[in-house]
Amino acid sequence: MQKLTRRSLLSLMPAAPLALTLPGRLHAQDAPIKLRDLYNRDMSFSDIALANEGARVTIAGFMAPPLKAESDFFVLTKMPMAVCPFCEPGTPWPDDILAVYTKRIVNVVPFNVPLETTGVLELGEYIDPELGFYSEVRLTDATYGRA
Amino acid sequence: MQPSMRRPLHSCGRRVSSLPQASSDWFTAGQTTIEERLALEPNTNRARNVILLNADGNGVATNYALRLFAGQQAGGLGDDHVLPHETFPHMALVKTYTVNGQTPDSAPTASAMLTGVKSKNTMINVSEEVAVSDCANLPGNELTTLTQIADEMGKSVGVISTARLTHATPAAAYAVTVNRNWEDDSAVPEDCTAQVDIAQQLLMGMESGLIDLAMGGGRRHFVPAGTTSEEGNEGSRTDGRNLIEEMEALGAQYVWNDETFSDLSDLGNAPIIGLFEDSHMMYEHDRTGEPSLAEMTAAAITALSTNEEGYFLSIEGGRVDHANHAGNLHRVLTDGVAFAEAVQMAIDMTDDSETLIIVTADHEHAIAMNGYCGRGSDITGLCMGINNEGVENTGEPNLASDGKPYTVVGYLNGAGSVLIEQEDGTYSGERPEVTNEDAMDPDYLQQALVPMSSETHSGADVAAYAHGPYAHLLGGTIEQNVIFHVMHHAMTAE
Repeated sequence: MQKLTRRSLLSLMPAAPLALTLPGRLHAQDAPIKLRDLYNRDMSFSDIALANEGARVTIAGFMAPPLKAESDFFVLTKMPMAVCPFCEPGTPWPDDILAVYTKRIVNVVPFNVPLETTGVLELGEYIDPELGFYSEVRLTDATYGRA
Repeated sequence: MQPSMRRPLHSCGRRVSSLPQASSDWFTAGQTTIEERLALEPNTNRARNVILLNADGNGVATNYALRLFAGQQAGGLGDDHVLPHETFPHMALVKTYTVNGQTPDSAPTASAMLTGVKSKNTMINVSEEVAVSDCANLPGNELTTLTQIADEMGKSVGVISTARLTHATPAAAYAVTVNRNWEDDSAVPEDCTAQVDIAQQLLMGMESGLIDLAMGGGRRHFVPAGTTSEEGNEGSRTDGRNLIEEMEALGAQYVWNDETFSDLSDLGNAPIIGLFEDSHMMYEHDRTGEPSLAEMTAAAITALSTNEEGYFLSIEGGRVDHANHAGNLHRVLTDGVAFAEAVQMAIDMTDDSETLIIVTADHEHAIAMNGYCGRGSDITGLCMGINNEGVENTGEPNLASDGKPYTVVGYLNGAGSVLIEQEDGTYSGERPEVTNEDAMDPDYLQQALVPMSSETHSGADVAAYAHGPYAHLLGGTIEQNVIFHVMHHAMTAE
């Protein structure tokens, strides 16, 4: 499989947002966007993120252990969210995560199982009124499945 | 052989030049190595300066992977690459177990190197007589550190880490604590009056003159809850104190990103405090807006060298360990390369006639290498076949009994486990298919066996490499606490 880089993905993108040009939900793109491709190195939003704002996209990642049971929310991480006792007492979130608001109550998937998550990409600061979770990028109305 | 056919025996052996392999490059290089070692003379100068470089978690196996990665990045096959510390003439294997741990953590290992004795896991610079978190029994059981001895000799002391400055390895340069996790006052039990939190001990170290320079991460432990730091995150102190402001009131120069770091105007005017992240500094692969470990090393040596009595400098590549915990070899090795660049910086900026440099690790990880891989197999990629007709691998991955390829490096446990939790709570699974491209992705986790949320340390040996005064005292297989005695002897030799 050809490696999907930010450049190669941009080359695939016509004027219209990518996800809107293709039917279907889970596999709307040729390959899921990698979570890291939503950010530039300085943690600003990438061109891919900006171009797909408001569009339904599929993003690859891993489900972090949920904050709350019976929730319609989980955090997608680019790598399995290993909890290292010597690294992070208090375990702050990495900078490059994606908040996912799902259509249905989340059926928890182990933290190290690759997922493809499809939803509407939202950019901008948001504080979850119930969880108090701060996010800068989200997928809403999302579904997910094992990659 | 018939008696009549026996050749006369030469008690002095054959001359090497007469051997058929004598013209081989391998052979002549081997001869050169022997000549270099025969010419070695012990350096018995007193060490004016001592630099201890510790790549956390860079045991013998991790360092092997680092050697190949650095060599392959330089365009070679990797195996024959020489890391900066591997040019040093003296080295030892180091046993890292602790008083109560066959597998150590980074607190007692740092203590061993800075106090000369082994102690218990989780504690820093505390006698083995005390139980973990037993604050009441701390008085009388505090150990004296090499940094205190250096300070008493009039030397300057610096500490650098890419981890939080309150993390175990850097903390050992200035703190005594019965629990390494007491990084700020919010973690210290209310009834503990025999010690203060680690961050406050750094402030006290600066106030007393013990610490002249400290650079790393961990800003949140110096800033009170309810206030935000330069990067917009909240502090975690509950005593309302802003230790950064208190350090500045002592005359410290404070820097917090790469711009303020580069603006440091007077490196000779200690103290200097650099806090570049609220938690650990970024992995080298992701680094932006922060100085590199090599850049911090250069600044520290420049600053500390202004003291005519010399200095002791502790430098930690703190996140080799964290990436190993994550099972993410790419970041292990990119942080390892950054550490190697810091080693080279230290070599380039010092004179080995007066500066002892020791490069080591505190412990190894549950990392292992598969075989049989051909030369040039990418160290983060798949194990390729050995080329029977040439040097470089066949380009075809070796297959395991399940018919699937496998990576050169794997972990015995961790988040990359091929055993996945099922809905009924049991664990089962099979090895995923992996391509060389998949495995070399910077975010790939090498396959592991035992399912664990975080890969573990191991008790396997690390190496210690040295050059400079009394570097020759490192040799054989030693206990980790011997490193203190080498540094102390070098600093105090008559």
